[in-house]
Order: sequence, then structure tokens, then C-alpha cells
Amino acid sequence: MRIGDVIGRVTLSRQHPSLPAGRLLVVRPWTRDAVLEGAASRGEDLVVYDHNLGAGVGTVIGLSEGREAANPFGKTRVPMDAYCACLIDSIS
Amino acid sequence: MFLARVTGHVVATQKVASMIGHKLLTVEPYRVDEAEGRSLVPTGRTFVVVDTLGAGLGEMVLVCQGSSARLTPETEKLPIDAVIIGLVDAVDLGGRTIFRSQDSDFARGAAEAADRASDHSR
Amino acid sequence: MQLARVIATATATVKHPTLAGERLLVVELLAADGRPEGEPILVIDRLGAGRGDRVIVTNDGRALQELLGPTTPGRWSVLGIPDS
Repeated sequence: MRIGDVIGRVTLSRQHPSLPAGRLLVVRPWTRDAVLEGAASRGEDLVVYDHNLGAGVGTVIGLSEGREAANPFGKTRVPMDAYCACLIDSIS
Repeated sequence: MFLARVTGHVVATQKVASMIGHKLLTVEPYRVDEAEGRSLVPTGRTFVVVDTLGAGLGEMVLVCQGSSARLTPETEKLPIDAVIIGLVDAVDLGGRTIFRSQDSDFARGAAEAADRASDHSR
Repeated sequence: MQLARVIATATATVKHPTLAGERLLVVELLAADGRPEGEPILVIDRLGAGRGDRVIVTNDGRALQELLGPTTPGRWSVLGIPDS
């Protein structure tokens, strides 16, 4: 998982039928300097699916990527490569 | 997933048998501009993706990549690593809409970008 | 597996149910010359590693699935803490 800031949302006019209802978040991953020095630097943004954790703009999240992002759907096959796994309260 | 704009169709007469009948598009990933965060900007990269949703040229789409791209009924047996899973209506950053599919300004900007790209390739 | 250094600990109250009760560490992966590479990552730790520790991490999702169940979205976990 990487750490990221939620900076926005994506809405779709049409979606693949296997994609379940949920929020699509625009997320900027934290860099090393962001963790160690509180720097403002961030990596390239990506779109992350939030099933039901309630992340919104300003939330810091842990995002799971790759095939593991589809694990929460169990045997249901869902085309998912980035999943909001937790809302971060603090990093110290 | 990442946001990308459809830049072209790919026609390949010679291809592995499993790919016959599948629509392939080229897309260019877009990202939120780093400094201002007020627009989506092109990254200059290109991916070939499978399209099952009927995306059109110039359209902004959401792409799923990696082995997860095979987790749809249409793509589960295909040797692919990127698939379009949504057509983008809007991108909002904290209450500010930085992209809307109906926005003609964006469509014009995208068309101009495509023109510039084809100029470069000449 | 890769060597990494723990640079912080993270807390998260709202999380996927398979992560309940698990410790989350923020680590930086270390290149061959010992320098950090890439963006920091969150790993699950059951060995009690702390800030500044060097750890061995794995990105084998199956290792975590055995611990946390097949529906866990987690991928990275601490495999060991090197003696030196």
C-alpha cells in the first residue's frame, strides 16, 4: 500500500457492468519527503476506488494496488487495480 | 486506475487468435497539473487498451491496468494488461470541476493537442 | 523480498475489516547501496519493528492472505528483522 491524499473525485457517464457502486477518488501519493519532513511534494495522481470507507477530499488514505486491489470482492471478478484500504488518522 | 484520453484506433490484422474481435485503442494518460491543480494535462505516454464500452476518439476514459485488467468477462482469457472500465463524465477537485465531458472548450483543446501530436509525427 | 527501513508508524481507525488490529508501518525500500528508492509504503507488521529499524519485507500478497484471509487488500508485510 502507498499513502495518498484524496484531492478529488471522478464520476463516470458509463461504466463496465462488473464495477460495483462506490466512489472513485483522485489521489496523490506521498513521497518520502512528505513522510519524513512534512514536505508538500507528491507523486503522480491516480484514481482509487473507495467501496464504503467514506474517504473524501482532504482524507489521507492507504491504497492497495495491483491484483490485491480486487481481493476484497472475493470470488466476484472485478476489474480493480487501486483500492482504498484504510483512512489514516496519524503518521508519526 | 488512471485517466486517459482516446487518441486512436489500433488495427492489427496479424494478431494472436484470442485477440480476434476485440477493439483496441491507443490512449494517452492525463494527470492533474502539478502546480495549480486546475486542469488535466497530458503526460505524453501512450498505452494500448481493450475497449468494451464503445469509447470514441477524444473521449476521457478510466483505465484499469495490470493483471486486474483480466477481471472482466470479456477479457478474462485475453493476454492483455489494460482495459477501459469507464467513460468519464466529470473530474471534481474539492468542489471545482476541472473536467467535464460536455465541455466544448476541453474537447477543442483535446482536438488541438491531437493536431499537434500528428504534426510532430509528420 | 526487499530490505527496508521503518520511517514512521501509522494509525487507521477506519479500515478494511481484514486489517483490524494490525500494526501499520511506513517503510522506505532500500536499494543495493542502502539508499531509499521509490515512494514510501505501508506494511503490516506482527514482529514489533519500530522506527529506524531495518526490516525484511515481502510483497507476496499470498503471505498476507494466509494471515488475514483471502479478501484482504494488503500486499506488503514484514517477514523479519535482520540481526545486524
